[in-house]
Amino acid sequence: MAAPAIEFSSVTKTYRRRFGGDRIPALSQVSFEVARGEVCAFLGPNGAGKTTSMSVLMGFTYADEGESRVFGYPPGDVRAKERIGFVPENFAFYRYLTAETLMQFHLRLSGRKVTAPEALIAELIAKVKLDGYKGLKVGKYSRGMVQRLGIAQALVGNPELLILDEPTSGLDPAGRKEVRDLILSLKAEGKSIFLSSHILSEVEQVCDRVIIIDRGRLVRSGALQEMLAEGNRVEIIVDQLPESLAQAARELGATLEPEAGRVRLSIEASKKRVLAETLWAGGSDILSLTPLKSSLEDTFLKLVGGGTP
Amino acid sequence: MKVRTIALNTFGSFLRNKVIILFCSLFVCIVLLMMSPLLAFKSMTNAANAQQMQGFLLNEIASVMSTVSGFGSLLAAWAAADSVAGEMKSGTILAVMARPLHRWQFLAGKYLGTLLLMAVYVVAMLGVTFLLAWLGGQHFQTSLWTLLAYPMVRYAVWAAISLLLVTVLHPVLVIGAIAVLATLVQVFGSAMSHIPHWIRLPVHLVLPLTSLLSEQRFLTITKASLRTFPWTNHVIALAYGLNYAFVCFLLAVAVFQRRSLSRD
Repeated sequence: MAAPAIEFSSVTKTYRRRFGGDRIPALSQVSFEVARGEVCAFLGPNGAGKTTSMSVLMGFTYADEGESRVFGYPPGDVRAKERIGFVPENFAFYRYLTAETLMQFHLRLSGRKVTAPEALIAELIAKVKLDGYKGLKVGKYSRGMVQRLGIAQALVGNPELLILDEPTSGLDPAGRKEVRDLILSLKAEGKSIFLSSHILSEVEQVCDRVIIIDRGRLVRSGALQEMLAEGNRVEIIVDQLPESLAQAARELGATLEPEAGRVRLSIEASKKRVLAETLWAGGSDILSLTPLKSSLEDTFLKLVGGGTP
Repeated sequence: MKVRTIALNTFGSFLRNKVIILFCSLFVCIVLLMMSPLLAFKSMTNAANAQQMQGFLLNEIASVMSTVSGFGSLLAAWAAADSVAGEMKSGTILAVMARPLHRWQFLAGKYLGTLLLMAVYVVAMLGVTFLLAWLGGQHFQTSLWTLLAYPMVRYAVWAAISLLLVTVLHPVLVIGAIAVLATLVQVFGSAMSHIPHWIRLPVHLVLPLTSLLSEQRFLTITKASLRTFPWTNHVIALAYGLNYAFVCFLLAVAVFQRRSLSRD
């Protein structure tokens, strides 16, 4: 059986200050897997350990304990890196190069053999909508343009796995949509994508799976649909609610919110039928029954207690 | 191929590096400043004071050459340190090291890029040497390759030491450490005969004997090197320098292999 795209097994990493010996735990026994062809979001508040995890995966930094593998190879192994496209957070570049020369540089380093490198580079530059800036030094680019160039350079080696650290940071809404569409097209091509993002509504649109970490610990990992469905509740609005029915509703686990001329009840979807029948039988007139689907943001906030994703 | 790509990119970045441009401009200014007394001596030379003026001229040429050569060591150390530290500081190293590239290949590329810069410097230095000799009315009797090989190997040693130091230290501290090391080399080099044997041996092992690699050792513009130095001496001296540089490079690779790569 082919190895998963990413394996993280009980990875622990602690940073030590050079002088003074303070120990700052960054990751503690973090374990997860990303299957091939999967788009997986890696979420967590600032300082949760997302960038450290990505650094461990790329072989930039070493874990103190545990094991991590990319396509079955240890991080930093050239055979693993041949199959990875990486966009670091706030992608940095050689300011004196143009997009074309920077792409040529990365193409040579990727070791990919192509018959027409210029055509490939032009295609990738056009893909991220930077084809109108031929000859312009990268140092003159806006942050959004640099971010898009970062994505183009990640694709230059035709990777099977893309590791994207905040790929939409610095982009305007149109740019974010373009990146989102690009991720969806790469997903359609069967590429595995592991991305961290602060924009949870976007994650909901492109990801199959979500991994949430907080303060260096894994707090949740699972399919996005399952995560969203778990929080499913139903809202029932009735015209009036006698005390006996209110008591029965509370016993079923419903929350009540009286408003002018009506009462709003919220209950888990699995108990909606029981509650509706109880209310109907008790004489309350049901004005509406609406499913309330929780967002990824609700789930995230519930798990990490209000930290910024 | 990958090492060459990194080396050429490093060399390209040196040509745009403000510190190095400033460094080279200073070099040109110093050479020009030091040449003005040389030209003055030359214009004052007549039949009566010819021999005295000849002495002045040769001294002047020797001091220009020694300054230019010392400047080169500092440039080699700075360029090597900055080529790695600059990538760490800006974060460009992350995108580069995400490529299928070994860490030693990255360091080798940086080292070769530095040596490319120093090759240009050595050629410029050779040009200055010829210019001074011509102005002084002297002729070269030494072979050209020694004037290229010796300074190149010496700079290769300083660049390798700097590369080793920058894997653990800030580049400014690296330059400080290089300056201390160069001073120690001078001090120990001139007073070696007075130092007890038990100190002399470790000093020989640790400090680079760059005086051995100095073309000043055999190059005076009026003397031929090949008459006084058999080829085995050249081979041993150059092999010592290359070996020292190689050991420093290997140590740099070993240290760099374990360090975390992040935006400093």
